[in-house]
Amino acid sequence: MKKISINQCGVLIVMCIFANKILLMPSLMYERTSADSIFVLALLFLLDFIILPIFIKLKTLYPDQKFYDVLKEKIGIFFTKLIYIAMLLFFLFKCLLVFSITYVYFKQQIYQDEFLFIALIAFLPVINHAVFVGIRSFSRTIELFFWIVIAGFIICLAISLFTPISSPLFFMSSVSDFFSSMHNHIFAFGDFMFFFVIMDRIDFKKGNIKNLYYYSLFAIALVITLFYLFYAKYQTTAFMHNNALADLLVFSVQFNAIGRLDIIAMLTIMLITLFQMEIFSYAFCDCFMGIFPLNKIYSVVVFDILFLLLYYVFIGRYETMVVSSLHWLPYLALLINYLLPFIILIIVLLKLKRNKSG
Amino acid sequence: MSYFNVEKEVKEAKKSLNECVDFSYRYFKRGEQKIAFVYLKSIIDPSLFSSAIYFPIQTYDDKFTFEVIKNDLIKCVDIKEVKKKDIVKEILDGRVILLTNFSEKILSVDLLKFPTRTPSEPPTSPVIQGPREGFVEDMQTNITLLRRRIKSQDLVMDVVRIGNQTQTKVCITYLKGVANKKIVTLVRQKLNNIKIDGVLDSYNILYCLEERPGSLFKQIGNTEKPDIVVSKLLEGKVAIIVDNSPIVLTIPFIFIEDLQNSNDYYTNHHYSSFVRIIRFLGLLIALIAPGFYLALQLFHYNILPLNFLITIADTTQGLPFTPFLEILFIFLLFQVLYEVSLRLPSYLGLATSVVGALILGDTGVKAGLISPPGVIIVALSKIALYTIPEQAPQITVLQLVFIVLGGSLGLAGIVSGMVYIGNYLNNFDSFFTPYLAPYSPRINEDLKDALLMNPTYSMRHRPRSFSPQKKERL
Repeated sequence: MKKISINQCGVLIVMCIFANKILLMPSLMYERTSADSIFVLALLFLLDFIILPIFIKLKTLYPDQKFYDVLKEKIGIFFTKLIYIAMLLFFLFKCLLVFSITYVYFKQQIYQDEFLFIALIAFLPVINHAVFVGIRSFSRTIELFFWIVIAGFIICLAISLFTPISSPLFFMSSVSDFFSSMHNHIFAFGDFMFFFVIMDRIDFKKGNIKNLYYYSLFAIALVITLFYLFYAKYQTTAFMHNNALADLLVFSVQFNAIGRLDIIAMLTIMLITLFQMEIFSYAFCDCFMGIFPLNKIYSVVVFDILFLLLYYVFIGRYETMVVSSLHWLPYLALLINYLLPFIILIIVLLKLKRNKSG
Repeated sequence: MSYFNVEKEVKEAKKSLNECVDFSYRYFKRGEQKIAFVYLKSIIDPSLFSSAIYFPIQTYDDKFTFEVIKNDLIKCVDIKEVKKKDIVKEILDGRVILLTNFSEKILSVDLLKFPTRTPSEPPTSPVIQGPREGFVEDMQTNITLLRRRIKSQDLVMDVVRIGNQTQTKVCITYLKGVANKKIVTLVRQKLNNIKIDGVLDSYNILYCLEERPGSLFKQIGNTEKPDIVVSKLLEGKVAIIVDNSPIVLTIPFIFIEDLQNSNDYYTNHHYSSFVRIIRFLGLLIALIAPGFYLALQLFHYNILPLNFLITIADTTQGLPFTPFLEILFIFLLFQVLYEVSLRLPSYLGLATSVVGALILGDTGVKAGLISPPGVIIVALSKIALYTIPEQAPQITVLQLVFIVLGGSLGLAGIVSGMVYIGNYLNNFDSFFTPYLAPYSPRINEDLKDALLMNPTYSMRHRPRSFSPQKKERL
């Protein structure tokens, strides 16, 4: 089996961590918890981050086994299939949300009304192709573009420093707002769950496991910096700006001489969106093939049908997708982000206990 | 006792070779002893035949024995005994066959000689610094050029014959203990599986060796320079020398190789790094400039600097074509001119350039058929193409693809195209080697000789991408 290295795993997780957090989320969060959103974000990241050592332990205990097989062995086929159905929906909706948010950005900024078909024609074949060529190939591609994406991201952050910014006001929101914001935005997290799906395709011998922590912390630091700079720049009007990363570039008068710099954000966001969609669609197809032992082509066709169907249902009302991500999708995220890792933790502990007694 | 009826054998050989005009034979008779010399006069050295074979036999005044002829009389280096069934094959290889009526043994002497050119600087890879020798069509000379540079007992050269009719000699060359055994085995296996009528050039077998036949992308390296082949052999690659071709193939091939040039290793590494970055930028410009320009003009004009936007608006106003058709038209015009200039005699080439560049371009703009920015963008991409001439064929096709993507889908199309190509290239490992190494997958050790180049003395390890048996260079 073609496996990916720790380094490639790291770049995949960076893309997952960026997902749904760099455009709309800062302004949505600001509505409820103002600048304290940064703490909400940090706490949610912390909760997410706990999953990483659990994953590493599980992978060490079951180095070459599929996650599906591990679950089947421990909790039986019925519950395994149920979990896989939940994961399948989780990844599908994550993919839809990424696309919806990017769709709005591009529609507002560059493509006006034509973007729907353009985006579908441009993105879907590439995403499908990525599923066909497999995780090793597309993770290598992400590795190839990784520093371009990171450079674009950092340039956007750096350019925002050339506009007047002042520290946002913290501790303005109530505790209930704080926790309800946490609950509402939980769907945008659970980034490390993708690792479980591809557990058997990661080669822990290739590289240092510590790098996984470094990559994750690096991505988290970038996202938190983005939130901070965004709030520092827009202050109380932050909720009105829906495209955080791109909006950081606006009003940077020092760079007028070389023209508008939107293109940096545009290319960065396009690449990030495409990579995230590749990851989520791959995860969807993998879960689908776990539930139904069918050929890859069926999983891709099912993904396309569901994606287009749901997209057409939601696209007229892009807000529906966002509202769903804030209201009913968090329950799905609770199951995937916290209940599933808890089950996995028990599996790990039982295995460790058995190893000790054996 | 008579072992051979030499006349009958000569007749049979002549018949086997369809009584071709260059078939020749001579008899030497003394008493009962008879010797026949059979050869193709078009491919042997006649003066050597006279001085090294015929004359010594003629002047010998004792009784002939096979051993005396073989060991004492014939003054040639390459002499061997052959079987009767191999006579025709040996004659076709430019050897003289000696048949006698006093021995059952047959002697074959190498006297092959045909017109060859001397090694000179190859027109496809001129250099400012470094060796100027290039390979020629004669395989023996090419082997000599390699031997001169590698005086090692580990240099292996296996010859196989390919082509039912041409029986062309193909030499697999590698360094034993350095080259990856799996790659050597796969190359040999692929060569043995080639079923082809004739091999006229190394390109005839190149397509049979590719891991993905039919792919647009180059999968096997080729060069006309012995110093490049030697450096690749030292890296752990396999070289394939084909008789009658000055192009030597090298396997495996990775994309970054075309950004490297032999000049880079003979100049300062800072300058080499700079030049490599320029080549890479040239590649990017060649690939996406026309498509990118179209995307900006059609979809994202709001991100263009205002002055540039006004210039474009001024110059494109009133054009009969849409921007997409305009760029496509200029692109095809350039391609037609390029093809014409390649095939026309050199004295007409200048005229074509004048007609193409001045008359067609300038008049086209003045007539309001095409716009100056369009001409500049396409011309720039066409010039940039030749920063890496080895990649020109595939980049030309991809230029067209990106024009269509940029013109129909804007930046989203271009980004998707790049990612698609990335996924595609990352999906095929040519001869167990990742095509886009050392960047994807990232191989830190190999980055010393990638876009940014370290001094050659610091490259103590062979590239890991090719999985050589011996990792250390020393």
